[in-house]
Amino acid sequence: MTVKQKIDARGAFCPGPLMELIAALKLVEVGDDIEVLSSDKGSVSDIPQWVNKVHHEMVGITPHEGYWSIVVRKAK
Amino acid sequence: MASSPLYIVLCSGEHEKLQMAAMMASVGAVSERPVEVFVSMNAILAFAKDAPAADARYQGGAFSKLLKEKRAPDAITLFRQGKALGDLKLWACSMALDVKGWELSALVDDLFDGALGLTKFLSDAENGQFITL
Repeated sequence: MTVKQKIDARGAFCPGPLMELIAALKLVEVGDDIEVLSSDKGSVSDIPQWVNKVHHEMVGITPHEGYWSIVVRKAK
Repeated sequence: MASSPLYIVLCSGEHEKLQMAAMMASVGAVSERPVEVFVSMNAILAFAKDAPAADARYQGGAFSKLLKEKRAPDAITLFRQGKALGDLKLWACSMALDVKGWELSALVDDLFDGALGLTKFLSDAENGQFITL
């Protein structure tokens, strides 16, 4: 897995991390991965739900102390 | 299948309701769901171009205080993000503008798509989900 871009959205509240991810996805190429670091608990369910709805691809979610690493692949 | 459009009538000037409307509108719009927001009554006051900084622009209760303390995303910024990243339209209620003696130019720049009457908005909203805040 090669992460093209990392977004540190720790400390941002809903829907901040999701909006930062969406803005970043507009700027990368299909197949690129973006990692979002989020301390917002809602992001763990909200981001996969959004990814599924708009047909991108979830790569994985890794819990850390006080935040999560969420990796999304641009699929279209 | 395309998502049903979401229509939001925003008439409360409470910070908490403005924030919720901005969250629903922006997230809906970026989720490939068309969203239209009709801003009227006290809500339109929060969009005044000459309103003071965010702390005074948004008036509310206990949760408003928390939103400001925790630096939650600014409601107008969320609306702007929804427009930039999705299909979101904001309409200023023509009656509210008339009552205030305002033109569209009295509202924050580059956010509203125009002024609209309630009858037209309700007609457009017949085939979508309708929420009032």
